[in-house]
Amino acid sequence: MLIKRIALLLVVSVGASATGLVLLLAGAFVVRAWWTTPFEVLGFGAAPEQPIAFPHTIHAGIDVWTYPDGSPKLDADGNEMTGLGLDCTFCHRNVDIGATAGVPPVEQCLFCHASVQGDELEEVAKLVDAWQNKEPVAWERVHRVPDHVRFVHEAHIRYFLAQGETPSGEPALVAADVCSTCHGDVAAMAEVNQVRSLKMGDCVDCHRDYNAPTDCTTCHY
Amino acid sequence: MGITRRQFLRWTGVTALGAVVFNGCRIPEEELQIESPVNLPEDLVTGIDNWYATSCQQDPGCGVIVRVVEGRAKKVEGNPDFPINRGKHSARSEAGLQTLYHPDRLQTPMFRASRNDDFLPISWDRAREILNAGMNSLSDRSRFLLVTEPLRGHLALLTSEFVQALGGRHMAFQSLEQINLHRAVKEVFGQDRLPDFDIENTKYLFSFGADFLSTWLSPVRYSRGYGEFRQGDRKRGVHYQIDSRFSMTAANADKWVPVKPGGEGVLAMSMAYVIIRDGMGNGDAASALTDGRGHEALNAFAPDSAMVRDATGLDSGKIEDLAHSFADEGHQPSLAIGGGTAGAHRSGLFNLKAIYALNLLVDNVGKKGGVMFNPAPPLEELSREDVAGMGMPASYYQWQELAGSGSVDVLMVRGANPVYGLPPGADFARVANEANFVVVFSSFMDETADMANLVLPEYTYLEDWGDNVPSPGPHYQTLGIQQPVVRPFLEGTSGFGDELLVLGRELDLGLEGRLELPPDARMQDVVKAGVEKLWSENRGSVTAASFEGFWNGVLQRGGWWDTQATGDSGVSEIKPLDTAWDGSGLGDPGSGMFSLVPFLSNSIGDGQLAHLPWLQATPDPITTVVWHNWVEINSRVAEEMGISEGDILEVSSGAGRVEAPAFPHPGVPPTTVSIPIGQGHTAMGRYAEEIGDYNYNTLSLLESNIDKDTGALAWAATKVRVRKASHGHSIDIPKFAGNQFAEEPHKGTIIKVTGPS
Repeated sequence: MLIKRIALLLVVSVGASATGLVLLLAGAFVVRAWWTTPFEVLGFGAAPEQPIAFPHTIHAGIDVWTYPDGSPKLDADGNEMTGLGLDCTFCHRNVDIGATAGVPPVEQCLFCHASVQGDELEEVAKLVDAWQNKEPVAWERVHRVPDHVRFVHEAHIRYFLAQGETPSGEPALVAADVCSTCHGDVAAMAEVNQVRSLKMGDCVDCHRDYNAPTDCTTCHY
Repeated sequence: MGITRRQFLRWTGVTALGAVVFNGCRIPEEELQIESPVNLPEDLVTGIDNWYATSCQQDPGCGVIVRVVEGRAKKVEGNPDFPINRGKHSARSEAGLQTLYHPDRLQTPMFRASRNDDFLPISWDRAREILNAGMNSLSDRSRFLLVTEPLRGHLALLTSEFVQALGGRHMAFQSLEQINLHRAVKEVFGQDRLPDFDIENTKYLFSFGADFLSTWLSPVRYSRGYGEFRQGDRKRGVHYQIDSRFSMTAANADKWVPVKPGGEGVLAMSMAYVIIRDGMGNGDAASALTDGRGHEALNAFAPDSAMVRDATGLDSGKIEDLAHSFADEGHQPSLAIGGGTAGAHRSGLFNLKAIYALNLLVDNVGKKGGVMFNPAPPLEELSREDVAGMGMPASYYQWQELAGSGSVDVLMVRGANPVYGLPPGADFARVANEANFVVVFSSFMDETADMANLVLPEYTYLEDWGDNVPSPGPHYQTLGIQQPVVRPFLEGTSGFGDELLVLGRELDLGLEGRLELPPDARMQDVVKAGVEKLWSENRGSVTAASFEGFWNGVLQRGGWWDTQATGDSGVSEIKPLDTAWDGSGLGDPGSGMFSLVPFLSNSIGDGQLAHLPWLQATPDPITTVVWHNWVEINSRVAEEMGISEGDILEVSSGAGRVEAPAFPHPGVPPTTVSIPIGQGHTAMGRYAEEIGDYNYNTLSLLESNIDKDTGALAWAATKVRVRKASHGHSIDIPKFAGNQFAEEPHKGTIIKVTGPS
């Protein structure tokens, strides 16, 4: 009788602690996601899949391209191939004049890809198809602030250019120097991912650091 | 454990609520996407608007600026630089967006061999082939007729060259034309162009029948000037409105003088008599106007004569007051303008001549606050007589003659809707029916397009190139430039100018040679070539070292003007007043009969804009009625006839009959009734056609009365019989004033958003 009771107690307590643990983990997940970015589990926090797998590494990066096994990719003459090192504003050309950075129109991609067809690469073919069929490309948004927040890229870039320095201490001479402050090293990302929480706390902290206004109407208007 | 009924209901409530609430939390997919547009416009910044200046066709003469966001036109405003409207605009300009994005816009060329068949959509290549074949079927090219709206600027030049090279004919169509006004200005002032009336700077303004704040000539310019006239930094101006209808302009006046319809000219003559008799005003002008005989020459118009009393309905004391008020030395500059119903009688030309001659008596010509003459258009090519003639509408008499002549084999119509806009006496449908081949350029399937073999969908003015010499101008040379503010919204559309050039090449007319253009020229080249000539003159509001700089400057400003290039400063020769008054058809309408005073709708005009919901929904300034026709009738008369608001009245004349709801109103002179023009479309898209019963075309009431000197339609000279309709129906008039039951005045979808297919 006693054994039965102990067994029951054990089962109940193990079950309860297991449930408690699950709830705790779930709670921690929600709290973390609420506070900053979610834990990178079960696909949360990972880069979304894009309609065209555009690699920022090749376009914006300057590193040597490698195959998955780590060996460098060589061109026809046997030289190592490196990223193009395009300036961010080459494609996101609204970023220092408007509120949104914007994504380039398909026509702009075709400035190069009309001739650079990339050894029949599947992703480039998708782009050329979109151009020929006159279809816009619907990218999955990676960075998004809620509708009640107004974030103006131009003002932030202008500020740091005037300072001549980014928060990390790098020189800020052209607009593209400022981007990584919030977006991380996009040039090194094969798939673009969000690296900063970009929650209100994050914004306000930075505004306080730089003595920028923190009135509600600075962002909520 | 049981569950009570109450608990059951609570849980069902909570779960249903939960479903609704949490569904709302979902973020729509497109919010999580960002789109790469296909094309790269050179000046597009996502989220930032561009403003482009252009010319407005819906409020002719006005310059507008259009807000364009990501390639779509969003808002029309007045161009602050443009001399005609100086930053102001009207509801009609505003509604240009609805013309551009209208769900019933024609999307592709359509053809049918016989008018009994249905239209079939075809390609532009095929349409051009058919058009060529149609033109080549002409055995005699003089049997080609092109009907357009009155054209100005380089489109007038191109069209004139086309018609001349082809050897065909052209007629300009305007529903209620201003022919009498043009003739009066020519005969009184010796001017070929309508002058600029400086309402802004005048002190005493006498308007005879001209609803200048609403629809007459250049209402935005006059309204702007009126603001200065009333509230500018000087003594408030005084405005007398002499009008047989209580219009919006009359409602704004200090004194509204309801004259009998058609008696305006007699009143003006009588005023002239008093002014000359009392030695007021300019003695030289008085002497010239009376051939040196003084007021004796105008004895027939003495204010106390029975004729004057009968014709005007005013007693002599009132006329003397008006005359003194107009010519008083302390009241100068004073200004008399006339038009609208005053010129729309058999004696219309006489009326207007008498009214404008009053200006000579007070010597305000060429002076601030008076009548300022307009110079010839800026370029020599635009001042040519044939080009200026493209802007002069044909008279009603000419339309009547045309209807019976059987002289048209190939008919081309553009920007005009004469099937709707001509009274039954000039049956334009007959012209279209008798022609072998009818081609219509139009953005909408209107009544005239509905009679065509070939319908060619046109760009709207926000998508096309052009220019405009405003008429009347601002008393100095002005050229408004019309540029496309957006790319063509529909792929299957083209420009009229472009297609004329293409057709000219097919028919070997040598238009490019005549106009000194490159061999594959388009309308843009025609405009650009003209602007280049302007640049070489090196004067005016824009000057630049290079043509490119000049072109950009002109496009940015919305046009070019030269405030130094003004018109004549005075009248070279004053002719004696015409005293031969023909009072036939005037006088009391008789018992049970009323004088019909039709008027242009403040928003939809003569019906050309009836397809735009914003304008249909713009309340009439006097009655607040929207989306509907009405009959204005005197309240007391209505009471005697047992008519109350909304009762359907049958209004009949010798020409036709219409039914419309009564709108009794104390400001209507007892012997007149008024009905707005513009409703009653049988085609032209859902918002013009499907707007319920008792919307008829008011023009179908008009009898074929004409002014014998000019052939102009005397559209305010029809007498009508009014009675309650025999079916006894009554409706709630959709209006804004008073307490109304909420009712959908327009059947069906109010607004439909469409994209290009």
